[in-house]
Amino acid sequence: MQLPIPNLGLIHRALRETLWTTLSLSGALFAIAALLAYALPRVQARFMQRQFIPPGVREFRNAVLCIDSTSGSVGDIAFSIALVHPIIIALLAAHAIIVCTRILAAEVERGTVDVLLALPVTRLALFVSETAAWLFTAFIILFSIYAGCYFGSRFINPDYRPNFTNMILVISNLALVYTVIGTFGLLASVTTDRRVRAVLFVMLITIFSVLINFLYTLDPSLEFTKRLKFLSVLDYYKPSAMLSKGTIPWRDFGNLAGASMTLWTLAAIRLVRRDVTTL
Amino acid sequence: MTNLAIELSHLTRTYGSRRGISDVNLNVAEGSLFGFLGPNGAGKTTAIRVLLGFLRPTTGTARALNVDCWHDSARLKADVGSIPGDLRLWPWLTGISALKLFASIRRREMIPQGKILADELELDLAVPVRKMSRGMRQKLGLILALAHQPRLLILDEPTTALDPLMQDRLRKILRKMATAGHTVFFSSHTLGEVEELCERIAIVKQGQIVADGTLDDLRANVGREVAIAWQSPADASWPVPSGLTLTSRTQSHWQGTHSGDPRDLLAFLASKPVQDVSITKVDLETLFRRFYE
Repeated sequence: MQLPIPNLGLIHRALRETLWTTLSLSGALFAIAALLAYALPRVQARFMQRQFIPPGVREFRNAVLCIDSTSGSVGDIAFSIALVHPIIIALLAAHAIIVCTRILAAEVERGTVDVLLALPVTRLALFVSETAAWLFTAFIILFSIYAGCYFGSRFINPDYRPNFTNMILVISNLALVYTVIGTFGLLASVTTDRRVRAVLFVMLITIFSVLINFLYTLDPSLEFTKRLKFLSVLDYYKPSAMLSKGTIPWRDFGNLAGASMTLWTLAAIRLVRRDVTTL
Repeated sequence: MTNLAIELSHLTRTYGSRRGISDVNLNVAEGSLFGFLGPNGAGKTTAIRVLLGFLRPTTGTARALNVDCWHDSARLKADVGSIPGDLRLWPWLTGISALKLFASIRRREMIPQGKILADELELDLAVPVRKMSRGMRQKLGLILALAHQPRLLILDEPTTALDPLMQDRLRKILRKMATAGHTVFFSSHTLGEVEELCERIAIVKQGQIVADGTLDDLRANVGREVAIAWQSPADASWPVPSGLTLTSRTQSHWQGTHSGDPRDLLAFLASKPVQDVSITKVDLETLFRRFYE
């Protein structure tokens, strides 16, 4: 049995195909992260100066922001908000979906799968090569968020700047959330011949995750959200504790990594065993 | 003992309740030019996709170059060049970047031979695929299939979109490759080109092989085309000679096919008021239609 060693030619092809998506989204993420890093500390400082917060406002704010927005320093809370902001999550998810639905659905849809699979590489080696290219682009995307936060923080009160070493932990946690979304995309993409279906499936998963997390944070007493929240990827992503204390939530990391590996393995098995017909 | 480039043994591939190919047995010798004919939906592309490891056989086996087409697909494809019936390439490629990319993936030198082929097929390798016409893309696909000098070529309608001059050039290239010991297996609807190029053909109908052999063998089975014009009205009492099957009979013309010893026919005609007679080998189109009727 041939070892599934990544093929440099296939990695190069995958990177070339995803180049513009990665560059444009990483540029957008850098800019948005920088803007949030610049603006949010001011907003949070004003919020925390209020002596009275109407009932429900705190809960709603926490639900929208997915963190406890009242305990912690201004900088920690502001940057936690930045790193869990819906726009950041949405753009990350978009990148994962665009890149990870290429193999196999996009290739079948545009008819290039005949040329691709006629090459002398095993399907597993193809999948490993695509994954390697994807993870490289993931590094660029995630680094751009970190770099944007760092850049934006240069223009604020130094007291509001977070610990950037701790921020690496948060980015690592975010990376695992991203890989779960991406591996869902891989699994959907090798199962269907239509890219639209794969994209829709992953979008639904992501929206479900955000919604369940939002509802649970808004009202933790809701029974059905309590039961379902373990299915939300955002339940395993809590930036404020990591940012303020530098603690590594090993359980969350383990759950996300385990989910990613499982989904990736299922996708690999499916790709190796399935028949491929063109549309 | 002839080495076989392709061995299909009781090969069946179904799509749920729909048949693709059914109990196909086919052997293709190494170094031969083999034509694979059939109308749309007959199962040609299914057979090719099984050979290339895209589809797993439902039952039976498919082997090429002594390896299993499904389980050892990657190993097989190192020595195979193929072009699909509907070729699509990534639009950002140029000819030269495609050769570099494929050479990198195949871990074989392809650029020198690719450039030679590009000259022969008159393709500018600097043009990006998104700006190429269909014919140009087809040329590039052929170059990518041939440049690594594969032992086995599996070509699905290779001359699609090529002009007659390029079709000639391609035929010359394929003949040269077959002479050098490479095997060419191709499916085509262009019967004239198959007739000109191939030593052996197989005809597939509704998923099964209905004919498999050299053109001469197949023609011998089917007979010769005979057309007789009579000087004076043909007598209804004239016995039709053995071996002659008439498809059309009037007082002035007889038309049909003759199989068997042609001397019987000639002896019959010698004593009759024949104005004109034509005895010709069945062409491939007629052969093809016969197997389909």
